[in-house]
Amino acid sequence: MTTSAGTVVALRARAAAPSTTVRRRQGFQHGGWFVAPFLVLFALFVIWPLLRGLWLSFTDANISGEGARFVGLDNYREALGDQLMWDALGHSAYFTLLVVPCITVLAFLLAMLAHHIERGKWLWRLCFFMPFLLPSTVAGNLWQWLFNPGTGMVNHVLGIETPWLSDTSYALLAVVVCTLWWTVGFSFLLYLAALQGIPAHLYEAAELDGANAWHRMVHITLPMLRNITGLVIALQVLASLQVFDQAVVMMDFGPGPEGSTRTFVQFTLEEGFTSYRVGYASAISIIFFVLIAAVALARMWLLRNREEDGR
Amino acid sequence: MGRPDLDRRQLLAAAGGLAAAGSFGFAALGQGADALASGADTRVRYWNLFSGGDGYNMIAMLDAFRAEHPGIDVKDSTLQWGSPFYTKLAMAAAGNRAPDLGVMHLGRVTGFSPGRLLDPWDVGLLRKYGVREEDFNPELWKRAVVDGELYALPLDIHVQLCFYRRDVLDRAGLLDADGRLVPVTSTDEWFDVLAEARKATKDGLQTLGLHTNDQNIMWWFFVSFYEQLSGTYFDAADTEVVFDTDKAAEVLAFLRRHVTDGYSIAGAADAEQFVNGAPFTMEGNWSVPVFDTAELDYGATPLPPVFGKRATHAESHSFVLPHQARRGGAADDAAHRLAAYVVQHARQWAGGGHIPAHMPTLSSPEYRALKPQSEYVVAMDHQATEPKVWFAGSTGILAQRLGPVVSASTMGSLTPDAAARRMKGVLTELIAMKNPMDGRTAAQARGGAGR
Amino acid sequence: MSGTSAPVRVEPRTRARTGTRVRKPWTTGQIVLTLLGAAVSVVILSPLAWALFTSLKSETEAVEVPPHWLPRDWTGQAWKAIFETGNITNWFVNSLVVSVCVTTVVLVVGALAGYGFARTEFRGKGALMGVVMGGLMISPAVLGVPLFTTVQQMGMVDTYWGMILPQCAPAAMVYILYKFFQGVPRELEEAAFIDGAGRWRVFLTIVLPLSRPSLAAVGIFTFISSWNNFLWPYMVTNNPDLMTMPNGIATVMNSYGIQWAQLMAGGLMAGLPLIVVFVFFQRQIVAGVAHTGLAGQ
Repeated sequence: MTTSAGTVVALRARAAAPSTTVRRRQGFQHGGWFVAPFLVLFALFVIWPLLRGLWLSFTDANISGEGARFVGLDNYREALGDQLMWDALGHSAYFTLLVVPCITVLAFLLAMLAHHIERGKWLWRLCFFMPFLLPSTVAGNLWQWLFNPGTGMVNHVLGIETPWLSDTSYALLAVVVCTLWWTVGFSFLLYLAALQGIPAHLYEAAELDGANAWHRMVHITLPMLRNITGLVIALQVLASLQVFDQAVVMMDFGPGPEGSTRTFVQFTLEEGFTSYRVGYASAISIIFFVLIAAVALARMWLLRNREEDGR
Repeated sequence: MGRPDLDRRQLLAAAGGLAAAGSFGFAALGQGADALASGADTRVRYWNLFSGGDGYNMIAMLDAFRAEHPGIDVKDSTLQWGSPFYTKLAMAAAGNRAPDLGVMHLGRVTGFSPGRLLDPWDVGLLRKYGVREEDFNPELWKRAVVDGELYALPLDIHVQLCFYRRDVLDRAGLLDADGRLVPVTSTDEWFDVLAEARKATKDGLQTLGLHTNDQNIMWWFFVSFYEQLSGTYFDAADTEVVFDTDKAAEVLAFLRRHVTDGYSIAGAADAEQFVNGAPFTMEGNWSVPVFDTAELDYGATPLPPVFGKRATHAESHSFVLPHQARRGGAADDAAHRLAAYVVQHARQWAGGGHIPAHMPTLSSPEYRALKPQSEYVVAMDHQATEPKVWFAGSTGILAQRLGPVVSASTMGSLTPDAAARRMKGVLTELIAMKNPMDGRTAAQARGGAGR
Repeated sequence: MSGTSAPVRVEPRTRARTGTRVRKPWTTGQIVLTLLGAAVSVVILSPLAWALFTSLKSETEAVEVPPHWLPRDWTGQAWKAIFETGNITNWFVNSLVVSVCVTTVVLVVGALAGYGFARTEFRGKGALMGVVMGGLMISPAVLGVPLFTTVQQMGMVDTYWGMILPQCAPAAMVYILYKFFQGVPRELEEAAFIDGAGRWRVFLTIVLPLSRPSLAAVGIFTFISSWNNFLWPYMVTNNPDLMTMPNGIATVMNSYGIQWAQLMAGGLMAGLPLIVVFVFFQRQIVAGVAHTGLAGQ
């Protein structure tokens, strides 16, 4: 098949293509109908909001949905000069910078551990993955409780008296800890699946060649995990930039001490729903969308480059 | 993938099909299990932001209402106090399916787009259920009226107070013959009082709880003391900032001195310290039930008039009708009836420290017998309120922007002078800002271009 | 890589090492690793244990300073209270209704679209596919405000449909199924076409039964993410009657103040169904994660 232009990813080998005539005749009649239901939903709840957001970003629309006036680029101009927006962006970026390397390393270590223990694999899998099965808000509540200065277990166990949630230098860190605990399981499973996918004969051959465990890891495991690592990092970067749930729950829906945990998503929602400035919030959303798209496109570009000179 | 186990698979498929069918059916009914299960003729959905002692009292009043009106099912929901509450209320009103009745701080009404996000009260209906304009403080009632329509029904006034431990102050010789805190009329006197009190205080406890890192409370203290200096924010037309940075700096320096002189410990658990024997704490009147429960021997006065004039910050909880596409009918009638009932039965509410807005309740002997309420009821006549502009009101934009500055100055990360200048800068920004709901600045709204 | 055993191969690499491994005896290395695993598990699970123990304390014991792990007086009062107050059960039902509806719609719509994109031809398919992939970058976190106003315009704020439908267009799930259907050997379909079967019959009688494992993975994943979804339900539902578990627990307060024991009990109630689902469908979930991995790789 040659019509897969637009697909993001190079496709894998598959069975030989059948005669084009049969396919075309059959497909032409029905193809549209197969995708129609999805496209309707997609158009209504993805495309339309995007276009609408773009339009609203040029207006002074408020939350009542009435009386929006065109204001040109005013919202964008204001946003670029809005210290709160830059702060929020900074918090989200800093959060991402902290979370992504930690999650990647932790997930890898957990996966190695679970992969190499021979007994009770399902049990380790369950234990390491379980936090991810909780709703984000429950994770947030739980850690808010754990970080509570007086009655919380964290300070008690560590024998310290850190005001985790009310001090600017710790608040975001507390959110990071909660996030690590809550989401490491997902990346862990990705790594585990990838580890199990490494053909055993590679190791057997290496063993015959006398490679020790360290060599096997450096020369087989790590290179074989390169793709999944790229994926884990990409998924985590995108998810971390969009962090919201745990942070607001841990801070009782506030911005944290001196606004230090106000994330970009939270800032957008505050402008739109707390300050009722839907037009301004839409402009910020569009800026955010461009940012996220840039990250996603950068990853695609990296992938493509690598596939061209690697493989 | 294993061998297909047909029985199990069919069972799963059948269960899945049933679950799907049931879920779609339930979603189509569109009401939620609780509403479906409600057997009453009329169901009133009522949102509030009260928890703790206030929540307890509110539930008691609702239960009393329920007992008297078995045909009306009151579904009350408590949401997170402050911005989260107002965010949710606005979103619900914008979505046209708002609750039948809501609670709002009176100061927020102007900014909450009366007419769009709020529906006006039917004054005739309220009268039918016993609520009359004559029974309210006229100033208070006036604040609830926008463009000639009543948008809020005041339930109370709540004020900032200075709580003191009688047992501790007695040792320090700071009580008068009636067992009340000796009068204080200047900052010097006030710090003398604190110095005396400190001597009678147990080691390890602060002298005064000041909530230095709570931006809301610090803002309310600022409003109180700034009013004591007769400070103002904007001119009468709301076109110009007339904020007096000298007076503001004086207030900020006064607040700061509590920390520098060691009377207040930044970040201390103020209420707990007070319970444990700290002589003073400044705090909203909602702490009354907390200290009652702890069975303390304590009193409470409005914030001391250290700058000469009596004034203490006051806000007001009021009932509002969030906008619904089709307001009216039985649920709306029941909302009027419920609000009228609670306002007139606010004696229970006063147990939470609030001063009832309904005058007949306020002058009732039962209320007058309450302690320490009777000691600070005078606060009703010395209210310091935020300017009446769209960005004001409890946890509104004004408080959000200025509160952190007051807090930072008190904690010491800004000098009082710099903080006062910064406050003026913020006010200048805000006065030029357009209300997103109608695209008008405060001055344009005051000019009354008519809605 | 060999492709002989099964006709349908979702993830060829996972099967490369087949069940030939013989159980080895305990070695020092294994003992160390197992102990390490146990220690890590204890660390990971201790917050959950803390939640469970807290939920079994009385409210006053829960906030005692300093805290202690095991309740002195074991009590089910918190659990009893959350069932009696009724909010939690109400939200539980809502979560179930919303998640089941979302899962059903996503499976139906996603399977059709995945198949349509993989195996049928129509004008503009390539471009459409590109647009759909672009949709991967859009989420309520990114475009929540405009999405809210869209749903507001449709009059669906504070309705089940307002909560359900916007969750029903996940480009990622379509993409996963699309990848899967591409792997279904065409010969199977060709034979049926020659027998005179139409596109729909081929889809329903041949392709769908083959894709059960993939559909299961997508279904379970959709269910999990819908059950745990907070942001969108938070934006679009304000009426506590209609809230789902994660939303209700986070936004609706207890009138008596924060009651930690009840909060923890509620949180466990919210997490429990998925833990049960995971225990029963572990294989499919792991396959599902591998799928998502593959899809994005």
